[in-house]
Amino acid sequence: MRPEVLHPATLSDALAALAAYGEEARPLAGGTALVLLLHHRLIAPRVLVCLEEVRELRGLQFAEEGIQIGAMVRLQELARSPQIRERLPALALACQEVGNIRIRNQATLGGNLAEADYASDPPIALMALEAILEVHGPNGPREIPIAEFFRGPYTTALEPGELITAVRIPLPPPGSRMTYLKFRTRSAEDRPCVGVAAVVAFEDGICRELRIAVGAACETPQRRPEVERLAVGRPLTEAVIQAIAQGYADQIETLNDLRGSAAYRKRMIEVHVRRALEEVRDGHRSFGADAGC
Amino acid sequence: MAIGRSVPMRDAEARVRGTVAYLADLRLPGMLTAKVVRSPFPHARIRRLDPRPALRIPGVVAILTAEDFNRPGAPRLFYGVDRKDQPVVARDRVRYVGEPVAAIVAETAEAAEEAAQAIEVEYEELPAVFDPLAATKPEAPQVHEDCPGNVFLHTRLRHGDLEAGFAAADLIVEETYTTPPACHVALEPHGVIAQWADGRLTVWSATQAPFVVQETLAELFGLPREAVRVIVPPLGGGYGGKGYVRLEPLAAALAWKVGGRPVRLILERSEEFVTLTRHAACIRIRTGVRRDGTLTARQVEVYWGAGAYADITPRLLRGAGLVRVVGPYRIPAVHVDAYGVYTNLPPAGPFRGTMSFEGAWAYESHMDTIAHELGMDPLELRRRNLLRPGDRFCTGEVIEEAFFLECLEAAVRCVGWDQPYEKGEGGRRRGRGLAVMMKSTLPRSRSECRLVLWADGVLELHTGTVEMGQGAHTALAQIAAAETGIPLERVQVIGPDTDRVPYDATTSASRSTSMMGTAIREAALRLKEEMRRRAAPLLEADPEELILQGTGVMVRGRPEVWIAWEDVLRRHGLEALEAHGVFETQGGLDPETGQGIASPHWHQGAGACEVEVDIETGKVRILRYCAAAYAGRVINPALATLQNEGNVVFGLGQALMEQILFDQGQPVNANMSDYQIPSLRDLPEVLESVLLESPEGSIHGLGEMTLPPVAPAIANAIFDAVGVRIRDLPITPEKIWRALHGE
Amino acid sequence: MANRERFALHVNGQIHVVEAEPARRLLDVLRADLGLTSVREGCGIGVCGACTVLMDGRPVSSCLLLVSQVHGQPIVTVEGLGGNGALHPVQQAFVEHFAFQCAYCTPGFILSIVAWLEQTSGQDPESLEEYLSGNLCRCGSYRNILKAAWAAARNREPSRL
Repeated sequence: MRPEVLHPATLSDALAALAAYGEEARPLAGGTALVLLLHHRLIAPRVLVCLEEVRELRGLQFAEEGIQIGAMVRLQELARSPQIRERLPALALACQEVGNIRIRNQATLGGNLAEADYASDPPIALMALEAILEVHGPNGPREIPIAEFFRGPYTTALEPGELITAVRIPLPPPGSRMTYLKFRTRSAEDRPCVGVAAVVAFEDGICRELRIAVGAACETPQRRPEVERLAVGRPLTEAVIQAIAQGYADQIETLNDLRGSAAYRKRMIEVHVRRALEEVRDGHRSFGADAGC
Repeated sequence: MAIGRSVPMRDAEARVRGTVAYLADLRLPGMLTAKVVRSPFPHARIRRLDPRPALRIPGVVAILTAEDFNRPGAPRLFYGVDRKDQPVVARDRVRYVGEPVAAIVAETAEAAEEAAQAIEVEYEELPAVFDPLAATKPEAPQVHEDCPGNVFLHTRLRHGDLEAGFAAADLIVEETYTTPPACHVALEPHGVIAQWADGRLTVWSATQAPFVVQETLAELFGLPREAVRVIVPPLGGGYGGKGYVRLEPLAAALAWKVGGRPVRLILERSEEFVTLTRHAACIRIRTGVRRDGTLTARQVEVYWGAGAYADITPRLLRGAGLVRVVGPYRIPAVHVDAYGVYTNLPPAGPFRGTMSFEGAWAYESHMDTIAHELGMDPLELRRRNLLRPGDRFCTGEVIEEAFFLECLEAAVRCVGWDQPYEKGEGGRRRGRGLAVMMKSTLPRSRSECRLVLWADGVLELHTGTVEMGQGAHTALAQIAAAETGIPLERVQVIGPDTDRVPYDATTSASRSTSMMGTAIREAALRLKEEMRRRAAPLLEADPEELILQGTGVMVRGRPEVWIAWEDVLRRHGLEALEAHGVFETQGGLDPETGQGIASPHWHQGAGACEVEVDIETGKVRILRYCAAAYAGRVINPALATLQNEGNVVFGLGQALMEQILFDQGQPVNANMSDYQIPSLRDLPEVLESVLLESPEGSIHGLGEMTLPPVAPAIANAIFDAVGVRIRDLPITPEKIWRALHGE
Repeated sequence: MANRERFALHVNGQIHVVEAEPARRLLDVLRADLGLTSVREGCGIGVCGACTVLMDGRPVSSCLLLVSQVHGQPIVTVEGLGGNGALHPVQQAFVEHFAFQCAYCTPGFILSIVAWLEQTSGQDPESLEEYLSGNLCRCGSYRNILKAAWAAARNREPSRL
């Protein structure tokens, strides 16, 4: 039996539908993950709540304090948006690396986060950007910092009936440079073996703030603030960069899959954290170039 | 002249409009949908199988189990092109994950799917074995009751005095190479429609071997051949995966059970990975060489992991499995031992470059190891040993057309082999590599065709050659046009349809343009002879005085006495003139000595490349690749080049990323995200294609020649760049990295 | 029992009303209900591109889209290209440059190139890769496909440049 599809036009209708059907309902955003789960009978909900027409979930808003991205904004729109590319290039780069153009045209940022696939690029960038997820549910709205959102592969902090409505990204500190590196081990269309996002704020060549997120090599995107702090107040010398790269490699518990063993991934974390930091330090990376290979 | 011209594929417009009807596009009235119930275990006894819960589902029409084959008038349960070891659906025992245990026919795909879930099967798991070498050990679980030790065939090639050869060597190098199972991944999945009507079985199948399917089904159902009709629509890629017999017995048995309505079975992508794979091969190769680079002896031991059923492997082992692992070299003493081994994995079979891919991976990597140990240039080592025209191969055959060195030299020219070379410093190192290969085609096979000239001037070519994207129908029509003189626009290709076209062995082993092409030439000669005979009385001349000129006949030296072909037919009151063409090759090797004729001619290809290795990650970038093949004579340069470039792209996948991974027999990457094939971003930065022709050359197939060199050429370039020798495919960054960093 | 609904789909310039389960894949509706067999299932997971269609001008995978996710946007398949029986310039370029072998992937590639031409300047190799790298050709005709794309870009009508 194939599910019915509901098309609420407002957030409150969508939440009401999810509440009414409880476990038997699934929200449907872009559908690039959900439709194949459905087709291969890996899930069998009675109702799909299509979010396409929910006004509150749309749109990009740019303000002084940050950028707000509606949950239904497509990854391709983020990859191509001139303002995202200028202000949050790490996010644009990460979105540009997802799947292929057809997937990016359909997949949404909210759906991508809610799926919590460990081998996905945008969550890694959002982790380094300290995104805040705005969530609405039966008990009203709440905010979840991204660092608290991923609980494991395909597992999130969302409660039943809750929807991500928007992703808020505080503007990085002035003088920031950022990048996202995706390392692939098989075809050029592969998912990441390792993904690294780096955001570094400089003042007169001195690092004021440094954030590194690593993902795809581990169950959820990871940051190591105690390692990040090694750079604060110093210039990004080779030694500092190496210490950070080594710290990340040492401290992250890596996993085995088709794209590489846990041991290999530790070393690839080291290499790519270092490369990301060198790139940010030198600021030479042209937009859109494939860094890994 | 129709030959040597790049004419577009015959149905090019339909191909770009998307109107070519592949199997999945055929709609027959009353067509039912089938779904296969597959084993979840690699080796198990079937304790109980109860289809009744599935039968109660609305829309389910029939369920096929091994029980059905006990009924009077039932087809045979077991089939196989050589050993009849494979059941249509499993009885008592399953031997690989994905083996069919039952199949459902229903009105809708949804009902069939639901029924597949509802069938109750109880299994008792048995110990299983997956590695071909491990399977030959005494303690290994036995895959088939009647095959202790799991080796179902051991063939040998014995040439020269091996001991003396090794004794004469200054250096003996021994290595072991492996290749994993891989998937063909034709974008069009396997599909078949079967229907019984009036005691006849009609099968529409995406197969490369309509006549093998016909023969197998006739045998299974105890019918004369003519009672089985096999029709083949254009294929959305084959690459060997649609060779021989695949889903047809199952679909035909379902149609038999249903009686009357057509039954359609199309595989899901995941099922493709358990339907047919490349052999898992383990190749031990040992070579004796003199300090000057002269090869003195070679011993090869190959374990061909065939999976749970022998399929085509025994046939391959009597020829290809021996001669495709030696290499195109003059070696006074060669011994090969080839073992066909059962394992609890899906059956292995034809795969673009069958056994040459595995063979060349071993012997061409090995040649570079030898060159390195001798301190000799890899090209020079080959130069000294490559077969030249008139040389005797290890089968005893004299090789007449030998252009291995020319292929290799053409390929290395593109990478500037003789120029000084800078390998770079720091994190990225460059290197160059080359490889050459020799491949047999089928030793003994037959191709037939019919040419029908209609009174309106249309020439029909009736052929069993399957069009699977290689452009065979276009090339064959060009040959028909060239051989008859009829304009290409008036040539139509009919078939494959076993009711309408004469016999052809298979579309495989790059044999079609050569074999079917020769049959067409035969038929054209006969057609022209017949035309002369018919025209003679009309022109009041002797047939011997007549010559064919364009699409007319004239008296030699008197061009004014001329008659158009159409008029010859009309005046004889003929609707059409027909001529049959046959080309057959004889050959075969003695299974104990490997001596005899392995191939009517030899496929020859080479590759050279330049790579860059990121030594921190092990990642390889192919900067430049050149593929050179010996074509003899090129029929259609554009299509031939496409095949040649396609070999490289296919080979890149095999070399760098492709492998079906099994965890205790369970495929873990049976989808196109987890099993990756090359995209256009994986192409070498420069890709060059060279097709060598020779004035007296015969037509050579091109579908595979430059594929086998890809993996060893890349591996050799990696060795050149960073000194790391990878012996197990695929060449992943991690393997290189481990070798570089000693982990 | 089937929970079928009526959908008015705007496909290749025409409105088609189909009855389908709302969670049926667009791929299945286009193939089975509308007979648009140029849209083909390859991988079933959005990787290969054989089922590419243009939705509102953007390439999407019809195997990953439910029919009820189409909210009135026009859908284009290769059956809807060209006009008056003539080949679309991209189709023509594919014929001229031998840009296919088995051709199972061809309609998907053609649509991706049409989208590239219509949505970008049609001059940037990086954007061409962006549009095409997610279409897979197992026969390996990639080089000719790229040649065909550039030929089509060069021959674009000036008004659209």
